[in-house]
Amino acid sequence: MTLLHICQWLYDSALGTSIRESDLMFDLIETAHVLGITLMAGTIAIVDLRLLGLVLKKDEVSDVVAQVLPLTWAGFALMVATGALLFWSEAAKMYFNPAFRLKLILMALAGVNPLIFHTTVYRSVGAWDAAVSTPVKSKAAAVLSLTLWGGIIVSGRAIAYFH
Amino acid sequence: MAASKWAFAIVEMVHLLGLASLGGTILMVDLRLLGLRLRRRPAAEVARELSPLSWASLTVLVISGILLVIDGPLRYYGNAAFRLKMLLLLAAVTFSFTLHRRAVRFSSERVTAQARVAAVVSLVLWLSVGLAGRAIGFL
Repeated sequence: MTLLHICQWLYDSALGTSIRESDLMFDLIETAHVLGITLMAGTIAIVDLRLLGLVLKKDEVSDVVAQVLPLTWAGFALMVATGALLFWSEAAKMYFNPAFRLKLILMALAGVNPLIFHTTVYRSVGAWDAAVSTPVKSKAAAVLSLTLWGGIIVSGRAIAYFH
Repeated sequence: MAASKWAFAIVEMVHLLGLASLGGTILMVDLRLLGLRLRRRPAAEVARELSPLSWASLTVLVISGILLVIDGPLRYYGNAAFRLKMLLLLAAVTFSFTLHRRAVRFSSERVTAQARVAAVVSLVLWLSVGLAGRAIGFL
């Protein structure tokens, strides 16, 4: 049972087929996915820009994180749910799509980045919470985050061009 | 032909990135107006702190939007979703710079009905602009 077999099975399944063949269903799910970008990436961008000392400079980093991240997580849940359904309906084709493969790789990296950030430099946030200029590692994580999510959005749009 | 298809794609992607960042700032300011986030600061300060990002995003959206339309003006002119989007955009921008700006400026610790209405109208208008934009591709 190869990965391609699994993708083909998803593609041929009743759920996959009904989404793919229903213009309305696919379009609604896809619209929610595209507009969900705002809730997920738009909010994480604000956290990243705070780490870079460019927005909400008077607010403590931990406060911005605490206030904004729940929104990002809600957005992420929406993106994963809609994304999974979109993938399900086109799984066999996505297997061969280079833009989709790139998107998955970038998402994996985008998941590792905050993991490293939160377990290392963020541990000492108490010492630099009010700083406009945060530690270099924190700025690096922010730049990486913005770049990766930007790349994910771009490769996501590119999927249609390789379909 | 292939080169122009990719040029269009790139401009569209830039448009999408601008949408994400503008959406983020609108969301944060309106959530503050609703008293749901960043309550430690007055709404006016939140808006001020995010305004360079909102302005940059709006600029990127307008420039990329113009470049997209230049690609085939008549096609967009004939597209009902595009015309609707332009009307909604006009409404959203006008509202942002008038009643919404007022609500932000006069917002206080207590969340007033005016602040709530301004936030909801703003979110609905901008969401509609986004939906109409997506609908362009469907028509």
